[in-house]
Amino acid sequence: MSLAQALFMGLLQGATELFPVSSLGHAVLIPSLLHWSFKQSDPSFVPFLVLLHLGTAGALLIIYRTQWVVIIKSFFTAAVRGRIETPSERLAMLLMVGTIPAAILGVFFETRIKSLFASPYVAAAFLVVNGVLMLTFEMLRRRAERRAAVDSKSRIEQEESFAEAERISFRAAALVGACQALAFLPGISRSGVTIGGGLLAGLRHQEAARFSFLLATPVILAAGVLEVPQLLASGVPVGEYIAAAILSGIAAYLSARFLLRYFRSGRLDPYGWYCIAAGLISLGLLAFNL
Amino acid sequence: MKSTPLAIGFVVLAIVFLVIAALYLFGVLQLFASTSSGPHEKHAILFAVLAVASLIAANFIRPKRTA
Repeated sequence: MSLAQALFMGLLQGATELFPVSSLGHAVLIPSLLHWSFKQSDPSFVPFLVLLHLGTAGALLIIYRTQWVVIIKSFFTAAVRGRIETPSERLAMLLMVGTIPAAILGVFFETRIKSLFASPYVAAAFLVVNGVLMLTFEMLRRRAERRAAVDSKSRIEQEESFAEAERISFRAAALVGACQALAFLPGISRSGVTIGGGLLAGLRHQEAARFSFLLATPVILAAGVLEVPQLLASGVPVGEYIAAAILSGIAAYLSARFLLRYFRSGRLDPYGWYCIAAGLISLGLLAFNL
Repeated sequence: MKSTPLAIGFVVLAIVFLVIAALYLFGVLQLFASTSSGPHEKHAILFAVLAVASLIAANFIRPKRTA
């Protein structure tokens, strides 16, 4: 992989990781569509992607640095006391409950599932599925808005009638966390399914995005930290990869800032339509070998 | 829901998870691992985390004395 390709992949990963459009799907599809010669089955490719993920996790840690300090303190306070007394303690425990299913599924099945489905055709097909999922989440949300009789209000007022992340149930947090495992399939977006899960659990769009980003941070960070020794031992150009990871972090930071602002009143629909279009166009290009 | 037996159950579960974590760490257990030999740090860390989570659950569930 050349330096330019590494930097491009860093930018792509950072930009697409937090948008509900599947970074893994794009990482599998775009090099194939551009006929790049490097192989994604190469042993150095996974550590490279992991390092890019570390850049994303770093960006999320910077954005939520003050929240994470409160969450970590609250976690230990509630764990020792054996009782939840504040919203931040509840959020800390919700994140723990949401992270455990993802961690279990990740440790036992991630490598196997990713290697089974790491084909551009599969990624393109799942990108279409991801788009349909996003549109379905929004369709169900609009139904919930009609039930709550807020569909005639402005978007900001509609959103305000839904809950903050701290109000989600523990069962819903576990389900949303487990949904992260769907993102092992290239083309299915981790942030997309967790934001969608949050919407189904009755969260505001912005709060669903916040919960999704907070939920993603420990998993991405832990996976990255555990893979770093393998990366250093594999003799890859670490300097180039770190530059790509920094670029990935910057792109992720800007993406998260944009999305948190966008989801004050925005919906998942544009990303759903984008995924369907990108998936279908990619399938066409791959089928005709263009 | 406060229950002493359930709290004890979680403590027992935590001990089981710790033992499994040790088995993975020392390469004794190879179940669901990507390679069939050597230590599996990720699996060990996961089970250590599950042990801590079980202890937290036990602490939440045990009946507490009121002052």
